[in-house]
Amino acid sequence: MTPDRHEIALALRLADPALSRFDPLPRIIAFDDFDRGFCGWTQLVGNYEDTLDAMHPGYAQHTQAMLSTLPMWDFGSHGGIDGSYALKIATRPQAGARNVAIKRLTFRRRGPIRLEFYFTFKPEANELSLSETDVRSVGFLYDLQTGDRDGDAWRIMPHLRFLNALNGEHVQKWQFKRRTEPFAPVGSANKTVTHYHLAPEGWEDIAGGGQKLCYNEIPTKVNWHYCRFDFDLATMQATGLACNDRELDLGGFDSMRIPAMRNLWCMLNLAFFVETDVDKRASLFIDSVCLSGDF
Amino acid sequence: MLRESQAAVVARNEEWRGASATEPYEAGWASEAIVFVRALKDAVGAPGRARVELSPDGMHWVAEGTEFPLPVRAGEVTFARVSHFGTWLRIAADLPEGAALTVLVTWHLKA
Repeated sequence: MTPDRHEIALALRLADPALSRFDPLPRIIAFDDFDRGFCGWTQLVGNYEDTLDAMHPGYAQHTQAMLSTLPMWDFGSHGGIDGSYALKIATRPQAGARNVAIKRLTFRRRGPIRLEFYFTFKPEANELSLSETDVRSVGFLYDLQTGDRDGDAWRIMPHLRFLNALNGEHVQKWQFKRRTEPFAPVGSANKTVTHYHLAPEGWEDIAGGGQKLCYNEIPTKVNWHYCRFDFDLATMQATGLACNDRELDLGGFDSMRIPAMRNLWCMLNLAFFVETDVDKRASLFIDSVCLSGDF
Repeated sequence: MLRESQAAVVARNEEWRGASATEPYEAGWASEAIVFVRALKDAVGAPGRARVELSPDGMHWVAEGTEFPLPVRAGEVTFARVSHFGTWLRIAADLPEGAALTVLVTWHLKA
C-alpha cells in the first residue's frame, strides 16, 4: 500500500530529532529553536504617542529577551534540550514585576492551530535556598483578530498561566483570564489606545488544574517541561491544553473578547510571560516552540 | 550562516539618579557590543560618566574598564564599544547628588 502524504510527513517528522518531540498539525507555521537565534521573539512594548511617558507602567517595565545558556553561578551553563541556547525572559527584581516576549504574525486561514513549546522557570539564584515559591507564574497568550471581511469582528485574547506561587504559597495550578481591562486613550490623535490585559486581577482557575511540576532540589537545576495549547481560529475557541503527562479540562475556559480594532485584522500574535512573587528576578526559559496549523 | 546580530533596549524612559544600572543582559553568543545611551530629556545637573560592567553570574559585577560620558541634552547620544566580555553585560553610573537623566539604553550585539 502506498502511504499518503500525511503518513510520509509524519514519518519524516518522527525521523527528525528536532521535530520528533513535537506533535504538529499538518502545516508548520513556525518552528523556533533558539540555537538558531531569536526567531522573531522580541520585547512587548506598550503603546505610546508623543511621549514615552504615555506608556502604561505595566508595559514600561518590559525589557528585551535574551539568548541564554542558563548559566549558573555554582556549576556553569545548563544549556537547552539539544543545544546551548534557550530564549530567556527575565523580570526586574521587584515583587509582582513581569516581562513579556512576543512574536507577531497574521493567519492565512481560520482553522485549528496548535502551539507547542518546551519551557522551564527559575528565580535568580542569589540565595542558598530552594526558592521554589519565588517565581509567581509563567504563562502564554494569543492576541487574535478576525479578518476584515469576516462576519464576526472580534479581537480574541486567550490567556493562560501556571500560577506557581502567590504571596509565598506554593499554589501550582493552571489559570485563565477572560476579564477584560478598561481601554484608555494614548496621546492626542485618537489613533492609539492601551489596555493592560496582563493586569494581575481577574485570573480564574482551570477546573482540576492543579499540577506539581518538576522543580528539582536547588535553585540552579532545571528540568524542561512540555506544553501544548490547541485553538480553533474558525470558532475562536480553545480546544485543548496539555502539560507533560496531564491533559487539562478546558470546559470552563474562555478568552478575552473585545470588539475588533481598526488596525489588527488577521492578527496572530503569541506571547510568553513571567512574573516574580518576590524582590528577585524570575526567568522563563523557552527551549523551542512549534506553531502549526491544519491547512 | 549570517552572523547573529541583535539590538536590545534594556532601559527605556528610565530616570537615573544616584547609583543606577541597566538590567543584566546575557549575550554569551556575542563577541562584540556597542552600548548607546540617548538622553530623552535634558539632564538635571551634570550626570557624569557611565562604566561598562561584567559579571561571572549576572549577580556580582566588576568594572570592565571602559567609561564614557552620559549624554546631557535631549536627543544627545553617547556610546562605548566592548568586546571579549564573557556572558553578562550592563552599564552602571553614579550620578552626583541632585543630578538626574532620563535614558534610553540600547545594546547592539554581534556574534
